[in-house]
Amino acid sequence: MSQNHILSSFDDELNDLRAKVVKMGSLVEKQYKDSLRALKNKDKVLAEEVRKLDRLIDEMDRDIEKQAINMIALRSPVADDLRDIVSTIKISAGLERIGDYAKNLAKRVTVIRHKKTISVSSALIDQMVTQIISMISDVIDAYITRDIEKAIDVWRRDQTVDNLYNSLFREMLTYMMENPQYITPATHLLFIAKNIERAGDHATNIAELVYYINEGELLALKRPKDDSSNYADINIDS
Amino acid sequence: MDKAAVTTVQDLVQPTIRATNVNIYYDDTHAIKDVNLDIPPKAVTALIGPSGCGKSTFLRSINRMNDTIPSCRMTGQITLYGDDIYDKKIDVVQLRARVGMVFQKPNPFPKSIYDNVAYGPRIHGLANSDADLDNIVFNSLQKSGLWDEVKDRLDTPGTALSGGQRQRLCIARTIAINPEVILMDEPCSALDPIATAIIEELITELKERFTIVIVTHSMQQAARVSQKTAFFHLGKILEFGDTSEIFTNPKVEKTKDYITGRYG
Repeated sequence: MSQNHILSSFDDELNDLRAKVVKMGSLVEKQYKDSLRALKNKDKVLAEEVRKLDRLIDEMDRDIEKQAINMIALRSPVADDLRDIVSTIKISAGLERIGDYAKNLAKRVTVIRHKKTISVSSALIDQMVTQIISMISDVIDAYITRDIEKAIDVWRRDQTVDNLYNSLFREMLTYMMENPQYITPATHLLFIAKNIERAGDHATNIAELVYYINEGELLALKRPKDDSSNYADINIDS
Repeated sequence: MDKAAVTTVQDLVQPTIRATNVNIYYDDTHAIKDVNLDIPPKAVTALIGPSGCGKSTFLRSINRMNDTIPSCRMTGQITLYGDDIYDKKIDVVQLRARVGMVFQKPNPFPKSIYDNVAYGPRIHGLANSDADLDNIVFNSLQKSGLWDEVKDRLDTPGTALSGGQRQRLCIARTIAINPEVILMDEPCSALDPIATAIIEELITELKERFTIVIVTHSMQQAARVSQKTAFFHLGKILEFGDTSEIFTNPKVEKTKDYITGRYG
């Protein structure tokens, strides 16, 4: 971290803003932990908790945005301070969106808890969620410590999430072909998996923003993108 | 007891300074028109506005600096904690001890650093002994962030310091007599950005103990250091409110035009 500002209250505000992002990140992680638990245990009450938590996260996003706008107006930040504050608005919005996907997962728990269980896919969802939680945790850590290596690592790990999603996509199709009773739970699980996959993209975005804050330029590498489900097809005749 | 350091109930219920229907004229020129303003305690209030809008005239009326200008006359009332500062019974010298002022150009006396700070306490009889005076000088220089830079050369002339140091010396001189209010008329306009940042940091610290009113041409400075902002235009206050509100969501079109650089 670079030297402190002469105007120490500016540092206080920057630290406060960062602390809010950390808090928001940990709440989003909690959303994923809880929604996964709710999915496994078919726990409707816990699923409802996740939805409630989302309101708090939305509020924090607005709060961070407001504070950042105030800081831009009152502090006239330049250079890395400017990149930091502007990127923080985007990071907060990204976390908010990641949180929305957890909320959506929780919503679907209330429907599929009555349906036929698909155990193998639940394990894949489990892996995806675990991966997402560690990505969120690490990318926020990278944001706070200005650790570019860590940010790039998170950025690469999105590939794992995409791979898991592709596996799950194929598996769901197989289930649905086998037995129409699986159609409802499998479709919901597909949406859940797609949402988690998108959450991964947002975490990747945040990693790119961390890189931008530090380096002042965009991450020039080619983004890992491997959602092959876009081209997936089933050939019933074969 | 150190009266400036204590937030009293009085602080919470009434403004430090209240201007009511203030009009100021220079001969036939109507410089300040019906200004009403409550300046809150232990906060920085910034007066901004284009040149000639009356902000400095208004600032100078708060410690009766305008009395020295023969053509200047004033109507209306300005109170300091309820005392009418234009009351005939008010001793102007005492008033200026309660309301200190820092000017645009750092103007230390052609005396030693020590004597610059000790001057006010001496004439106001604030020190009972030499040790007492030493203490006041030490405290004032400490609070103005100058002590470490000058402690080994207190007997050198104040005028030999750099611009930023001279301005902090003037601030030390002002706070040495423990005023309730500090008026600042563009205190950083003659300073480089680093010296400016140091003064701004100092202002932020001083507001814990003093009520500060600052006139500045730098809108960024007003935004950075103040909690309240008054926008002056052609002798009137067009908008007064929380600085964060004025700079993110001004209610008056003219304020918006001025702070966004469309007018002024």
